[in-house]
Amino acid sequence: MKILYQIAIIFSICFVGELISAVLPIFIPAPLIALLLLFLLLETKILKIDNIKEKSDFLLSNMAFFFIPAGVKVIEHVAVIKAIWWQFLLIVIISTILVFFITGLTVTLVIKLQGRMKNAK
Amino acid sequence: MLSEVFTSPFFGISISIVAYAIGVFLNKKTKSAFFNPLLISYVIIISILTLFKIPLSSYNEGGDIINMFLSPATAVLAITIYRQKALIKDNLLPIIIGTLVGSTSSLLIVYFSCKLLHLDEVIISSLLPKSITTPLALSVSTASGGIGAITVLAVIVTGVSGNILAPLLIKLFHFNSEIVQGIAIGTSSHAVGTSKAIELGEKQGALSSVALTFSGIITVVLALIFF
Repeated sequence: MKILYQIAIIFSICFVGELISAVLPIFIPAPLIALLLLFLLLETKILKIDNIKEKSDFLLSNMAFFFIPAGVKVIEHVAVIKAIWWQFLLIVIISTILVFFITGLTVTLVIKLQGRMKNAK
Repeated sequence: MLSEVFTSPFFGISISIVAYAIGVFLNKKTKSAFFNPLLISYVIIISILTLFKIPLSSYNEGGDIINMFLSPATAVLAITIYRQKALIKDNLLPIIIGTLVGSTSSLLIVYFSCKLLHLDEVIISSLLPKSITTPLALSVSTASGGIGAITVLAVIVTGVSGNILAPLLIKLFHFNSEIVQGIAIGTSSHAVGTSKAIELGEKQGALSSVALTFSGIITVVLALIFF
């Protein structure tokens, strides 16, 4: 029964997210609205982590599994992949390295700057 | 006929779980990120569907049920932020500025390199959200006219390459701070990279999950405004 309640809570939040996403004039993905909604409920103590712990641990620890069907759909697009495979790999891998470097550098600079401002005080 | 059996949702769900279990097993045995459980699952499932000439629509009877969990799995990321509130407070500026600059540069780099290699608009829309977690990347991609499956593939290749390269890149760029490592991994390679961050240390893992959530939100907002 406990798990059933937890599923109900999380699914209802997702449903409300979809409802809000459908009503809003601009496009905001429903899962993102559900994320913000859940955070708000936790923050305002309306919901406690214990109320949804088992279900959310199940979702968080098996996260990758839920991505399987979305990726299997790629067999419908084999022709596209074949046509651009090397550009695809090049862009995806190089951009990952660059984003890693740029993010790391930015954070390093921010930390240094914060340290300097603290020392100046 | 026997082929009708495969349209049962139980087929799609069972084959997915078995393929994933094999993937997790091989990943644990080899301890190599190349043996990514997701990639192995794709290879197994796609091979079976092709070999036995089972149509994708039959697999999707079960696949769509698993798909439904993508949204709840994204929503519970809120718990990660809630649990790490103190850590976020202590590192608020590095997290916000780092994920903002990282996400923006990801969009720009992908956009201009696609243009440079003469890829069409559909592929650009499919690749743009490649650095963020799958459900959010899927919504951005489909809303801007991309092919969801190609986005998912790009997201996974991003995650796997981040996972494999992170330890090397940390040494190469001399990113010695735990804060820098965590935020850089989460921003560049979302949840699959985060599993490596967790191996590096508790602080890196926590910051990486926070960074992947922040950069997911930022990318959705940026994509909304600009594309």
